[in-house]
Amino acid sequence: MFINRLTLFIILIAVACCLMSCQEVVSINLNQNSLNIVIEGVVQDHPGPYSVLLSMTGDYFTPSLYFPPVSNALIIMSDEMGHRDTLKEVANGTYQTSTVQGVPGKSYQLSVVVQGKEYDATSSMPQKVFIDSLYDVPRQGFDGDKGYDIYVVFRDPPELGNYYRVNAKSSALIPADSIDGRRYRLYTDKLTNGNEMAVRIRAGRNVNPGDTITIDLLSIDKATYDYFHTLSDILTSDQSPTSLAPANPTTNISGSALGYFAAYAVDSKQIVVR
Amino acid sequence: MSGTVKNGETGEALIGAAVVVKELSGVGVVSNAYGFYSLTLPQGAYTILVQYLGFKTAADTIVLARDRIVNFNLLPQPIKIGEVVISGERTNANVTSTEVSAKKLEIDEIKSIPVLLGEKDILKTIQLLPGVKSAGEGSTGFYARGGSIDQNLIVLDEAPVYNPSHLLGYLSVFNADAIKDVEVITGGMPSEYGGRLSSVIDIRTNDGNMKEFGGSGGIGLIDSRLMLNGPIVKDQGSFIITARRTYVDLFLRLSKDTMINRASVYFYDLNMKANYTLGEKDHIFLSGYFGRDNFDYPNYFGFNWGNTTATLRWNHIFGDHLFSNTSFIVSDYNYSSSDETSTSQSEISSGIQDLNFKMDFQYFTNSQSTLKFGINSMYHTFMPGSVTATTSSGTNSLNLEHRYALENGVYFSNELNVLQDLKVNYGLRFSTFSLLGPGHIYTYDQDGNVIDTATYPSGKFIKTYTNLEPRLSMNFLLDETNSIKASYTRTTQYLHLLSNSTSTNPSDLWVPSSNNVAPQYADQGTLGYFRNFGDNAFESSLEVYYKNMHNVIDYKNGADLQLNPNVEALLVYGRAWSYGAELLVRKRYGPISGWIGYTLSRTDEQFATINNGQPFPARQDRTHDISIVFIYDYASTWNFSATWVYNTGNAVTFPNGNYYVDGRLVPYYTQRDGYRMPAYHRLDLSATWILGPHSNLNFSIYNAYDRWNAYSIEFRQDPNNPSQTQAVQTTIFPIIPSVTYNFTF
Repeated sequence: MFINRLTLFIILIAVACCLMSCQEVVSINLNQNSLNIVIEGVVQDHPGPYSVLLSMTGDYFTPSLYFPPVSNALIIMSDEMGHRDTLKEVANGTYQTSTVQGVPGKSYQLSVVVQGKEYDATSSMPQKVFIDSLYDVPRQGFDGDKGYDIYVVFRDPPELGNYYRVNAKSSALIPADSIDGRRYRLYTDKLTNGNEMAVRIRAGRNVNPGDTITIDLLSIDKATYDYFHTLSDILTSDQSPTSLAPANPTTNISGSALGYFAAYAVDSKQIVVR
Repeated sequence: MSGTVKNGETGEALIGAAVVVKELSGVGVVSNAYGFYSLTLPQGAYTILVQYLGFKTAADTIVLARDRIVNFNLLPQPIKIGEVVISGERTNANVTSTEVSAKKLEIDEIKSIPVLLGEKDILKTIQLLPGVKSAGEGSTGFYARGGSIDQNLIVLDEAPVYNPSHLLGYLSVFNADAIKDVEVITGGMPSEYGGRLSSVIDIRTNDGNMKEFGGSGGIGLIDSRLMLNGPIVKDQGSFIITARRTYVDLFLRLSKDTMINRASVYFYDLNMKANYTLGEKDHIFLSGYFGRDNFDYPNYFGFNWGNTTATLRWNHIFGDHLFSNTSFIVSDYNYSSSDETSTSQSEISSGIQDLNFKMDFQYFTNSQSTLKFGINSMYHTFMPGSVTATTSSGTNSLNLEHRYALENGVYFSNELNVLQDLKVNYGLRFSTFSLLGPGHIYTYDQDGNVIDTATYPSGKFIKTYTNLEPRLSMNFLLDETNSIKASYTRTTQYLHLLSNSTSTNPSDLWVPSSNNVAPQYADQGTLGYFRNFGDNAFESSLEVYYKNMHNVIDYKNGADLQLNPNVEALLVYGRAWSYGAELLVRKRYGPISGWIGYTLSRTDEQFATINNGQPFPARQDRTHDISIVFIYDYASTWNFSATWVYNTGNAVTFPNGNYYVDGRLVPYYTQRDGYRMPAYHRLDLSATWILGPHSNLNFSIYNAYDRWNAYSIEFRQDPNNPSQTQAVQTTIFPIIPSVTYNFTF
């Protein structure tokens, strides 16, 4: 937390030092001939069905919003009680479960066989942590920018080792989660174990009184936290001489696939901005 | 004969002055760090020449019938004024010394080369020498021959300085007004130094004018400095105080933004030193450095860090041949950051403290050999972090355990004239490192989970490492102006810097070697050809080196170093190796002076768990590195200087593709450090108008042709076309002019 602010501050002082904004678009040549499969699978604690998405990587500078989906894969999701569910491909690259149910406290396994290779992953769904309350506070931002701070209050369970992700969506925005730059909000109880936590969502200029904000509190396992944490590092990193070398996110999928498999419990509440 | 070589005008001891016998070629010694020398000769009459850059050579006829003390007081002769430079004035130490990859920077040279905003900075200037590469704009960190940033030992009057940077790295903590000279050793490290693999930056401060009071100062765009010195008792003791403070925060007050204009941003440096001579055989010194950087945004966050060092030294001369120095040194570095918003108040702090006892002896055996031996014992206290939270903040207080360690070194070396033209400096350093209790020591499995915790009481030895470090360098003199030098050294490093970035960042973490972290060690070999020409007007050298570094450290993906009691579980270990050739041509006399340096080099790393175990170029690998420094003194009214640097860009990791996950476009990486940043080059110009004997006005331009060097390259979605990605380059410093006013009194 302090380091992110410090980095912001460094850039701010640096930009303040140079009287104009010294940024320009440059052209970089990348050799782009490696392809890899991307697997994105979730299990949630609502009744289902749950989806697994398969796609491939594409060219870096490609003008496409759409990456080639991968069809005809054999995907099996199973739980620790012996249910095995073979997923059906309902659209290109999208596979759905039919019988598996997501239950907090249980662990789930995913097996994907495609293009002659097998990929496996396991994820455990933690116990569900509920949002106690939501409240909003108007704020004066760093650069004169006004907005709202939305506080999400919940109580962390007494054992150490709880991980959370918070999503915020507004029906008035496109995309819905573009409140506060679509950043990842990931939390651990490393410093706050057992406490009542008040997590702050900074909604910017694009949020107005009367908007309905939906807040999801996801209770995730450590592997899922590590994945989104390292994914978030990539999305916010820059190639300065001082940052560490980026690498693909730490995934819980074996077999050199990109993506993740996450089982999590969700509690959703809404707040209308005053 | 023995004695001290001093500056006749101020009484400052001269370090590295050559005391040679005119009648006996090749016979002579060099004064040590306190100006002391000792020369053993058969009875007789000799002409003794004492030479030092910037001073008139003293030539005295000495009759040696028995042991005697002869002190030399040299008078300054500014080397730049005057067309005629007597050939006897110039030394050929470049060719004759056994120091291989060691370069000395005179303070006058440093003061002629301005860096950003008209400041003179030692750490920035040494980066203009071949073999020493800057870690990037906005950073005082540097790489010496491919070694990483923490492999440099930076000592100020023998005290290690752990974070030598102000203002997030663009300026160092060393105020040039306090400095006497700087020695930069990147290879052939003598056995009296240890604890870091790649370089030693030995900074020695002025003692203070022994004869009269005086001072100097300067007023610049962002900071001002003042130096006061004078005698305590004339010719027996003196003091010097230098201070510097920035007023960047005054500029921030001009901002209309209420967040920025209430901010408090400043740094200061204070150097103090006093010394006193007690009789002919004893001299004591007490010096200290205090510095701090502070950023504070009220009700938002605050950040501050600083170094404190103090050194007490006692020189004692036994008889005529044995010089000793005993030092007690204290060094402290700490930083703290605080979160001050209304809903949470907490402060994180971290640091390292050293207590150090050193004894160094130099025995001038005879004209063929000089022995050095000594002991250095350091007690380290590591404070990896603590969080202090107020009860309403929702954050728990957390204290990571302190760690304690004892690092020792015992060394000897002998500089010997083996044959008429062959000088050898051989030595051995025996170093030990022990991690001490109290503490809880963890053992981890492959995934970083704790599998064992052991508790140790205070003072118990948890883990000890010992290492033998041979050091060897030799000089084969082909003739008075040509020599070949070679060296081999083994060095060990017991302290490691863990960092979220490669620049010197205040939140960097120093950790000791332990049951989980092995010491790093390196072997380096060098071979060089040294030549002076133009009657010693030009010094040149071509040196090749190969360095192999073991147990170097990198991090597991997504490692979170801050406030982590199990930070050792996040480390991975591997090997790094670097090799290269360095060419330096330097002119030190006359109205035109300066140097050209060129380095061609390569540094690679290999870790089992990174890049599929394949070797990859290190971040700091830069194929070409060129520095040209040009200084011109015109008629003692103007001094011009120009500096041009060029280097190949750092190795970086860029993506090879893209994919969609969680509704976001994400870059896909396959090769670590497979690409290069664009090349960096820059021209700095400076003109100093000497208004009178006591003042001058300096104009400087940083980045004179306004090259937009890439500080960072970001890939982001094109704001006009979200399905497309573009590369955006950020530059920190475009062209920046500046004015500074300097005075002496």
